[in-house]
Amino acid sequence: MVDWQVLLEEEYRIVLALLILLGGGIAGYLLGRLNRRVLRAAGVPEVVEGTPFERTARSLGTTTVSLVARITSWFIYGVTILLALNTAELPLSTQLFWEITLFIPDLFVGALVFILGFVVADKAELLVSERLRSVKLPEVNVIPRIVKYSIVYVALLVALSQIRIHTLTLVVLFAAYVAAVIVFGVVAFWDLLRSGAAGIYLLLNQPYGIGDEIRVAENQGIVQEVDLFVTRVENDGEEFIIPNHVVMRNGAVRVRN
Amino acid sequence: MADLTDLFGKIVDDVDAAFLFSPSGSYYERFADLAEPDVVVVAPDNHVGADNFVELPLEFENVKDRVRFGLEGAIDEGIAEDGDVVACATDVFDDSIDTVSRVRVSEETHTGIYDLFANSRADPGVIRDVFEVAIELGTKGQKGEPVGALFVVGDAGKVMNKSRPLSYNPFEKSHVHVGDPIVNVMLKEFSRLDGAFVISDSGKIVSAYRYLEPSAEGVDIPKGLGARHMAAGAVTRDTNATAIVLSESDGLVRAFKGGELILELDPEEY
Repeated sequence: MVDWQVLLEEEYRIVLALLILLGGGIAGYLLGRLNRRVLRAAGVPEVVEGTPFERTARSLGTTTVSLVARITSWFIYGVTILLALNTAELPLSTQLFWEITLFIPDLFVGALVFILGFVVADKAELLVSERLRSVKLPEVNVIPRIVKYSIVYVALLVALSQIRIHTLTLVVLFAAYVAAVIVFGVVAFWDLLRSGAAGIYLLLNQPYGIGDEIRVAENQGIVQEVDLFVTRVENDGEEFIIPNHVVMRNGAVRVRN
Repeated sequence: MADLTDLFGKIVDDVDAAFLFSPSGSYYERFADLAEPDVVVVAPDNHVGADNFVELPLEFENVKDRVRFGLEGAIDEGIAEDGDVVACATDVFDDSIDTVSRVRVSEETHTGIYDLFANSRADPGVIRDVFEVAIELGTKGQKGEPVGALFVVGDAGKVMNKSRPLSYNPFEKSHVHVGDPIVNVMLKEFSRLDGAFVISDSGKIVSAYRYLEPSAEGVDIPKGLGARHMAAGAVTRDTNATAIVLSESDGLVRAFKGGELILELDPEEY
């Protein structure tokens, strides 16, 4: 029977280090394979299909899935090598060495977040542009791109802060951007928001329905259509398109006679 | 000995435009470089990217209806004019274009089949969806029994004021639109009730169970059609609505607009 304790003795440390290297190499390889399989089974290749990131990966002769799997393997190889070096007690076990060792997981997570961010951004861009396909306005193409770069920016922020780079300025920039989007959004869509809120009440409670005769702000006629934002009221020859917030503010008179 | 190409060539001699009905992409490609005459595509959607395009909302099984729809659409969009002679390439026997006919465009034979879809108050898509429900109802019936149904589409406010409820409205306070699969099932279930369905311009189902009471004065519909058709004709004369009727007795789907019978379809052909 082999006495394993013997490996811990001074002169056998190199052997132990080599064993660790071997085991780590196998574990890294297997984990990479496993990761690839799990990702495939989870349907990741279908999800990332057609995204620019996947296309770039393919032009470099790889795929998103194998890239992620390979990063997993490399991570384990890296840890193994460091562990082995430590075991071998080469004169490397300094402060710097430990800092590097502890930095590796962060680098790994950072890379993963970055890849994930890119894929999600590409996917979001595709989804948004799919939704906007029926809008026949060339300028609308800018929206999917804004969505994409916003997500990339967030992913970049997370990844950078993961690898402990100071991102305060970037965060401030991002906060300013988000605040601007919200402020401009609220200002621009103010009437639509109010109409939408009023429209929800009108649709749920139906104080008046199609066919009723109503009067809103001096406009009298028969209700033809009620949707989320406007009420269409029609009399002989005139169709009033009344925003729902006007209905809520002024009230509607139901005319019965 | 005469050549067949020469003999049949007369059909397409000196035509003002060539109408392609639902061409495949490669078929259209061959026409794209043609200098003369103009090429007009009539199809459910313009996936070939043609300049002259007429949208075909329904794949009319009857070739005559299909051609008529295409021509009236072309007149309406200013692609063709009264007196033009055009060649219409359609499919009759299978899914690829196999027939060419020479047709003279004339305003006099205007049936309004294009106006029915494109220039109605209601959205063309809504009218198409209602047609599809009516056709489906006509082929399958309600639990195997033939049923009749009357859909009044568009100008719902006025239609509601010219009708009264026969019973509680099952669509009260609901927000359902024609075209959703589940709604089509509901419409089929409710079709055994008497009375008309009222559908708004945007496709919202406003009411079922409506008894229409327009004035039937001066409504001229073919003799032999029953009360349902008379009501449909009359309500479209009194309002700007379009009425789509599934006949219980002969199983045909008919569309009325402006008090006149515009279109007659046999659901069995679809």
